[in-house]
Amino acid sequence: MKEQYARRAQVLIAVMIFAALAIIAQMIRIQNSPEADIFRERASNYAYELHTFYPDRGEIYDRNGHLLAGNKSVYEIGVDLNAVKDPSAIAFAVGNELNIDYAKLLDSIQNPPAGLSYIVIADYVEAQKATNLQALKKALQAQAPEGSLGGLTGLNFKSHPQRSYPENTLASNIIGFVSREGRGYFGVEEKYDRVLAGNPVQALVPTDPNKAFEIPHAANGTTLILTINRDLQAASEQILDDSLSTYGAQRGSIVVMDPRNGEILAMAATPRMDLNEFWKYSDTYKTASDFNTPVSMPYETGSVMKVLTMAAALDSGTVTPNTTYFDTGSILVGGALIQNWNQEPWGEQNMVGCLQHSLNVCLAMVSTQMGAGTFYNYMDNFGFGHLTGVDLAGESAGRLKLPGDSDWYPVDLGTNAFGQGVTATPVQMMMAASAVANKGRMVVPHTLYAMLRDGRQYSSPAQYAGSPISEQTANTLSEMLAVSLESEASLALVPGYRIAGKTGTAQIPVDGFYDSTQTNVSFIGWGPVDDPRFMIYVWLERPSASIWGSETAAPVFSEVAAKTVLLLNIPPDSIRQTLVTK
Amino acid sequence: MHAYKVAPWRIQRRWIGGALLAVVACTMIAALYLDVTSQAAIAGREIQDLTAAISVSQQASEDLQTQLASLTSSASMQSRALNLNFRPMAQSEVEYLVVSGYVKPEPEILSSASLPQLSALSVLPEYNQSLFDWLDEQIAASSRGLQ
Repeated sequence: MKEQYARRAQVLIAVMIFAALAIIAQMIRIQNSPEADIFRERASNYAYELHTFYPDRGEIYDRNGHLLAGNKSVYEIGVDLNAVKDPSAIAFAVGNELNIDYAKLLDSIQNPPAGLSYIVIADYVEAQKATNLQALKKALQAQAPEGSLGGLTGLNFKSHPQRSYPENTLASNIIGFVSREGRGYFGVEEKYDRVLAGNPVQALVPTDPNKAFEIPHAANGTTLILTINRDLQAASEQILDDSLSTYGAQRGSIVVMDPRNGEILAMAATPRMDLNEFWKYSDTYKTASDFNTPVSMPYETGSVMKVLTMAAALDSGTVTPNTTYFDTGSILVGGALIQNWNQEPWGEQNMVGCLQHSLNVCLAMVSTQMGAGTFYNYMDNFGFGHLTGVDLAGESAGRLKLPGDSDWYPVDLGTNAFGQGVTATPVQMMMAASAVANKGRMVVPHTLYAMLRDGRQYSSPAQYAGSPISEQTANTLSEMLAVSLESEASLALVPGYRIAGKTGTAQIPVDGFYDSTQTNVSFIGWGPVDDPRFMIYVWLERPSASIWGSETAAPVFSEVAAKTVLLLNIPPDSIRQTLVTK
Repeated sequence: MHAYKVAPWRIQRRWIGGALLAVVACTMIAALYLDVTSQAAIAGREIQDLTAAISVSQQASEDLQTQLASLTSSASMQSRALNLNFRPMAQSEVEYLVVSGYVKPEPEILSSASLPQLSALSVLPEYNQSLFDWLDEQIAASSRGLQ
């Protein structure tokens, strides 16, 4: 009996061992079969998914932390054609919410192009509208009988980021915009496009949760803090808009810069556009250089150039403030007659009177005395004909003809001295004049205050573009300009503050001849003279109320300067000097 | 002299005991392995969910930040101020006072907390392969050694 049990047990053990071995053998066979490789390959297709991680574009702030450009979520709304239950319900709901024609929508769902299983019916939909549709879809699903699908089944939502500009048109010329493809155009958006955009990361993301630590992290784009003061920018734009209507000018720009370090505090230009509707760009601008005229639009600046001619003459020792000459109302340079703005003689004048009365004859005489070599060397050192390097897209270098150029004539030495026949942008003029305001040191204008990346702030240091004139020349000329404004009781003066500056009225060449009825009026000035904290450039194009810069650009300068001292908390000279002596 | 013979049932019991011990040991290892693997999988899934939640939160935060910026934009603040009967101050109306010890505020420094770097863990995992991965590696290494 016992033997019988033992045998049974042995048989049972043998059967079980056999079965186990058979299973193991089968496992080994399957693992090594030719089909195994196919299955492994198929499995590997699902082990990883190729994802492109687009980092969030860096934000743009003004110097006081106000958001100028950020990101918001918008939605792509699509229909999964295989999952649609009620096309008319989808067409009705979406059409109603997004203001799309019901019949068109229904037709696109019911008669999609052949071979498509998913169609996009709307993109860049505001989050609120998408949320409403999502809530409706959920509600219909909840109302549907148990086990059946809701009316909006098949309607899908995919969120993605879009650039948003909370200030709309404010500083649009400085900021620029980002297209739907994510590329920056104009201004800071274009200049710092790669820095703002960050680097997209394409990576295989494991679907196996055990490998979750392999999920890549795409670092966001760099955030930029600009030197712009939002309130001053808004005030400058307001003053510019008002002055265009007051003086009947076609276009204009105002730039406010700190002459000590080149920080651009405000840069107003017309026209401006709502950056949130960037696709309307061509409705506002005819050419790309219209977008940000202070940087992209060189023009003949007229008498504001006299500041730099006088700087060169003083620095080279050609004249001193007390040098006198007898103004006969005209001078012959290179065989061409140069006359004063009023075509009249001014008698004996010194160099202060020369600047005060803005005498073309005087400056033409000074430049010819200096000689072409010295004059153009100084102009070159002031940066004319070169890019300033301002960190805004689309900068233009203007044109400074030099002796030896095919289109340079000896008369150009005389006319260039008072800003005719030479073109420059307002930003170029400010960079050159910063040498006068900043003790001979010329600053590079810039809009970047700092960058933020991975929680660290990297400040942008001031850059200097050389010292074309000495400190003594700069101080002497500043004083001469301040005295000349005070002597003529200029409309540019700001009560309580000592200002140095110069007007400019330039006739506009039309069909090769200067039209005396059409002018570009300008004013460049800075203050307080003993410790300049701001430099302002005003340019109005073709004012109809008056063709003179002293009657149009000068009062605009005064208005902007008054606002600037308020917003930058600069006390009047008397109070400031009392504080310094304490 | 007596010859002793071990009873067959004792031998069988020893064998069965040994086999059962092996089975229990294997079962324990398998259970432990399953438990560790499942816990790792759950943790991994949680990481994936949290990663997704982080990006959703960041997106929501950006939306709110943009909304806030719109509500406090220059134009809207100006219009709110005018509605509250404020008016822009003229330069002549400003009175400057000397306040001893007052330091002019510098431009606001914007610095945000550093983002979690999921791809670069600060604490590296102690084990980064399963038992089977380890066995695979050992077999591959020994086969390379044989070659």
